[in-house]
Amino acid sequence: MSQDALDTVVHAETPEGIAIELKAAGVSSRVFAYLLDFLIRMGVLYVAALITAVMGGLGTALMLILWFALEWFYPVAFELSRWGATPGKRTLGIKVVMDNGLPITPAASITRNLLRTADLLPALYGFGLLSMLLRRDFKRLGDVAANTLVVYQPKAAPKVTMEDVAPLAPVRPLPQAEQVAVIALAARASRLTASRLDELAGLAAWVSGDDGRSGPAVTRRVLGVAQWLLGKRA
Amino acid sequence: MTPLQFETQYQAEWDELQSLLTKLSTRANQKNSPVPGERLASLYRRACEQLALARARAYPSHIVERLNQITSDAHQVIYQQREFGLGRLRRMIAVDFPRAVRAHAAYVAVAAAVFLGPLVTLGLLVYFNPELILSMVDAETVAQFEEMYSDSAEAMGRARAAGSDWAMFGYYIRHNIGIGFQCFAGGLFAGVGSLFYLAFNGALIGAVAGYLTERGLSSNFYSFVVTHGAFELTAVVLSGAAGLRIGHALIAPGRRTRTQALALAARESIVIVYGVVGLLLIAAAVEAFWSSARWMPLPLKYCVAAGCWIMVLGYLWRQGRES
Repeated sequence: MSQDALDTVVHAETPEGIAIELKAAGVSSRVFAYLLDFLIRMGVLYVAALITAVMGGLGTALMLILWFALEWFYPVAFELSRWGATPGKRTLGIKVVMDNGLPITPAASITRNLLRTADLLPALYGFGLLSMLLRRDFKRLGDVAANTLVVYQPKAAPKVTMEDVAPLAPVRPLPQAEQVAVIALAARASRLTASRLDELAGLAAWVSGDDGRSGPAVTRRVLGVAQWLLGKRA
Repeated sequence: MTPLQFETQYQAEWDELQSLLTKLSTRANQKNSPVPGERLASLYRRACEQLALARARAYPSHIVERLNQITSDAHQVIYQQREFGLGRLRRMIAVDFPRAVRAHAAYVAVAAAVFLGPLVTLGLLVYFNPELILSMVDAETVAQFEEMYSDSAEAMGRARAAGSDWAMFGYYIRHNIGIGFQCFAGGLFAGVGSLFYLAFNGALIGAVAGYLTERGLSSNFYSFVVTHGAFELTAVVLSGAAGLRIGHALIAPGRRTRTQALALAARESIVIVYGVVGLLLIAAAVEAFWSSARWMPLPLKYCVAAGCWIMVLGYLWRQGRES
C-alpha cells in the first residue's frame, strides 16, 4: 500500500501466513527510555553504595559485582521478564521483540546488550544513532545482529461508536476503495469537529446523490450510506 | 457478507480468544482453571483466517485492527520459546560451548596469533630494553607494578587499595569480563575492534612480564599469573575469536546479505561468549583467592597451574565430541 512508504510499520509474517503489523519505535522514545533506565541504575548504585560502605572488603566486592551486573545484565533481566521491556521502556510504552513479532529469546537479548559496546562508540551512542537513523526499522547495530526490534506496545483498538443514522443506499455501486473511504469517514465522525465533518462529507456527497452540496443534512445522508455499506438495512 | 454480519458472526470467538489471553497473562488464575490449549490454538487459527479475509475484503479499520491485535497477542503466546533452565545450562557447558569453540577453530587460531604475537614480541623487546616499558605505561604505573610483585609486598597482584581478596574478586569480575565483552563487540567494526583489543592487551601483558622478568621478580610474577591465566588468557582469545567471526561475516558474507550473515554469525558466536563469561568468573575467583596466597609453596602452585591449563585446553579440545 502507498501509505506504507510514509509509515514505519514493519510487517512480520506468522507461520499461518498472516502479516502482523509492528510499529517500530523511533530515536526519541528510545533515548528517553535509556535516560530513565540510566537514572534508575544510578539510584540503585547510590543506595547500594550507602549500604555496602559499612561492610568493608566484602561490601566492595558486592558493590563492584552489582555495578557489573547493572551495567551488562540490567536490560537482559528486564527484557526477558514478561513485559519484554526495562522500566524506562515500559514508561515510554515501548518493548523489545524479535523481528518476527515473537517475544525476545535469551540469546537475542544477551547479544543485543553485549553489542551495546559497539553502539555507544565513538561517543554518546554515535554508531547506534547513525544506524537507527539510516534504517526504516530503527535498529541499532546490536538489534541488527540479534534480529530484534524495539516496537510500540500495541494500544487497545479504540472503540468505534457510530452515530445511529438511517441507512441509505448509494446512488450507484461503489468500488472497494470508495467503500473503504466512506466507512472510514463514518468511523472518524465522532472525533471530528462538526464543520470539518461537513466539509469532508461534502467531498463525498455524490455517493448519496447530493453532488456539490454540503451541510449537516448532507452529512447525515453520507453517514447513512456508510451504514448501508456496513450492512445495515432499514 | 457485509462487515456488520461478519462482526456479529465472529465477535464471540474474538472475545473468547481475548479472555483466554488475558487469563494467561494474569498468572494468579492459572492454577484454579488451566487454559485449554487446544481451544486457544484453534481460536487463533480461525482468527488468522478471519484477519486475512477482513483485509482482503477491506473491512473497516476497527475490525482489522482488533483482529490484528488479538492474532499478534496470541502469536506471541503460542510461539514463544523457553530457553531457560538447568538442563539447558548443563548442555551448554557439556556440549554447546566446546563445540562452538571447535567450530570456530580458524578464528581461535587467528585470535591467538594476534594476542600472543605482540605479547611475545613486546615481552622480548622490553626484556632487552627495559626503558621501552615507558612507551606502554607511565612511570608511576611501572613503579606500582614493581612494588606489587616485590618480595616485601604482603599480597601479590594488582593494586590492592581495599586490601581484601573479596574486594579484588569484585574488581576482577567487573574489569575482566568487561574486557572480554569489548573484544567481542569490537568485531562489529569489521573485526578491527577485536584485533585491536587483542593486540593491545597482549602487548600490555607482554611488556609488563618482560619488564618484571628483567627486574628479577619473575618467580613472584609468574607464580601469581600462571594459574588464573589458564582461564583468563583463554577467555580473552576466545572472545576475540567470537568478535572476528562477526567481523568476517560482515566483510565476506558469502551468499547471504550482510545483515543475514551478521545475524547468523552473532547467533553462533554468542555461545562462545557464554563460555567466556564462565571462564572469566572462574578466573576472577582463582585470581582473588588462590593466586594471591603467598604462603603457598611454589611447586604446589605450579602443579595446580599445570593442571588448570591441561584441564581448560583438554576441555575445549575433547569435551562434547560424538563418541
